[in-house]
Amino acid sequence: MPRPITIAFDVMGSDHGAAEVVKGAARLTLESPGIHALLVGDGDEIRKALEEIRHSGERVSVHHAPVFITMDEKPSDALARKPDASIAVATRLVRDKEADAVVSAGNTGAGVLACARHFQLIPGVRRAALAAVYPTQQEHGEKHDPFSLILDVGATVDAAPDDLVAFAVMGAQYSKVISKNPNPKVALLSNGVEPQKGPPRVVEAHQKLAALPGIRFSGNVEGLDIPKGRADVIVTDGFVGNVCLKMLEGVAETVVDLARYAYKSKLRWRAGLAMLSSGIKRLKSITDWEQYGGAPVLGFDQLFIKAHGRSRSKAIANAGKVAAKAVSANLAAAIREGLPR
Amino acid sequence: MSLPDRIDPPPPKRIYRWDLDKTYLKTDFDTLRQLVRTALQSADQKVTVPGAAALIRELRERGDSRLCIVSGSPKQMRSVLEEKLKLDGVEWDELILKDNVRNVLRGRFRALRGQVGYKLPALLESRARGPAEAEEILFGDDAEADAFIYSLYADLLAGRVEESVLLKVLEHARVYDDDRQRTLAAWKKAERADKVRRIFIHLDRLTPPARFSVYGPRVIPVFNYFQAALVLMADGVLSAPQVVRVAVEMVQGAGYNLLTLANSFQDMIRRGHPLQELAHPLVEALQAPNPIMNAMRPVPDIIAAFTKRLSVLGAPPPPPRPVQINYLELLDDARPRNEKDKDLEDDEDEDE
Repeated sequence: MPRPITIAFDVMGSDHGAAEVVKGAARLTLESPGIHALLVGDGDEIRKALEEIRHSGERVSVHHAPVFITMDEKPSDALARKPDASIAVATRLVRDKEADAVVSAGNTGAGVLACARHFQLIPGVRRAALAAVYPTQQEHGEKHDPFSLILDVGATVDAAPDDLVAFAVMGAQYSKVISKNPNPKVALLSNGVEPQKGPPRVVEAHQKLAALPGIRFSGNVEGLDIPKGRADVIVTDGFVGNVCLKMLEGVAETVVDLARYAYKSKLRWRAGLAMLSSGIKRLKSITDWEQYGGAPVLGFDQLFIKAHGRSRSKAIANAGKVAAKAVSANLAAAIREGLPR
Repeated sequence: MSLPDRIDPPPPKRIYRWDLDKTYLKTDFDTLRQLVRTALQSADQKVTVPGAAALIRELRERGDSRLCIVSGSPKQMRSVLEEKLKLDGVEWDELILKDNVRNVLRGRFRALRGQVGYKLPALLESRARGPAEAEEILFGDDAEADAFIYSLYADLLAGRVEESVLLKVLEHARVYDDDRQRTLAAWKKAERADKVRRIFIHLDRLTPPARFSVYGPRVIPVFNYFQAALVLMADGVLSAPQVVRVAVEMVQGAGYNLLTLANSFQDMIRRGHPLQELAHPLVEALQAPNPIMNAMRPVPDIIAAFTKRLSVLGAPPPPPRPVQINYLELLDDARPRNEKDKDLEDDEDEDE
């Protein structure tokens, strides 16, 4: 019998409290019999939450770690002051082979820093990257996902050309494993599609990626190509990636606000929106970020999935499934294989 | 000195009462197709809940107990069920099945699904027939109304429930008049004694354990029979090697492993059952030179897994406190399963 995969859930620090993360992990134990959940956080809170929800008691264990880092704390200071914070304990448990991957909806910076302290970078990777999925016009991979992957979105602010090349390999391997996309199209984000466009590090990365075997590099894309989904994986540095991601989120929220405004303003507009409602619902369901659970931190020998702070149980459970899928496919080894020698 | 003409066996010290479907047997009859398939299964096609057969064999090992099975399965299945129990090496004293043909012929359709009007008189009549001094340990599941019926049965025997309450329960459960009379008669015949020690509820449907807290600490929801065996070891009913034999059957026959057993152990401690003291005798039992224990090697890994689960749990919660069960407030628990299923689905829909 294959050894079950254990996912360590940092249950503390999410916007909806420990109970919601516990609920997500419990849901995972019901939906995926091959996955175990190791819940790291306040033992008493976890116990109370578990007692009230359906779960498989045989596939859940608890590691008491009541201290946690809040969203507004500075990661480096907080981790120094709270070495036994739940996020640090969860990553240590993965390092010590008590679990196979971490899922956390807590402080992103603290999560990335905890990975840096407790995990090893894959040989050939100098910097880690935080990858995020975003909805696109085009579908991708065997599963026809209306999502692309963008990385880095905040782990490494200054990325050298070699870092961008490593990000491209990491993103492509992740897309192969998770989106079942056997040959993902990888692009570099720049201010023009021509190879010589962009700052020197982007131009140099372009040259290196164009010469790298085993990767389907399609050249540069511009910002407008991101939502169109012209590539399966878009590579950029953490600064630009974070700005892009926030802008995409801002645009989506603004569209929703405008629709609300329209709904309230005129009866005719309201009627129009009502007629469109089933289509809007369908669109919302196929672009539901919760089905992807979270953003993986790539580049380490162990996997860390950062779930959105606002994640509900469905997103947490899906983050656990994504983590388990990456573990069973041995994502770290696949990345190591794909890196330039 | 002359020898007596015959030597009667000593009266049983303990009575174990088991339900069958979803408690002892893995049964699906939520749809008509599943119901038909279950009815047509041969004995060797029926699947035992992991650890159930081993637990019964260990409980019966000393020969000072009775096994009484009260099941809602129809009488027509008796030969198949008896064959299945024999295949599992389980010896029973009573096997009470439901006379559904008679119910249909008499037009008593409520009785086909009703549990209270069938099980409660059956339990009380069985008790009235048995030795008054024997303690009882009951095994049911979360699919029907076992926690409610078993608790009511225990409190009726203990004299903690008034007749007016029993009548209201029977009325709410829409029990037919003759079954009401049977229930009252059997209750009046049974000796008043507080003899039910434990009620184990197998969480076949993974009902949240907290839903059973209204029944007090006597009712113990368990995810598997290793957990029940641990509690019975703490109660002095089973020895450590017997608990290990239950675990061995689960490992060999149902794919349980070190993680699932260690998690099950931690789950019980998390729920306030003081089982920490069991670790040492269990370790000793595992280290004994016994070929059956080979399924549980390497022992150091087992010890490490169990002690780790204990050490990382923080302060264990206090044991569950006794409660006064208000049966009239819990009448909904006595409803047929299909109605409760709808409630559970509604709860889950709300979570979406």
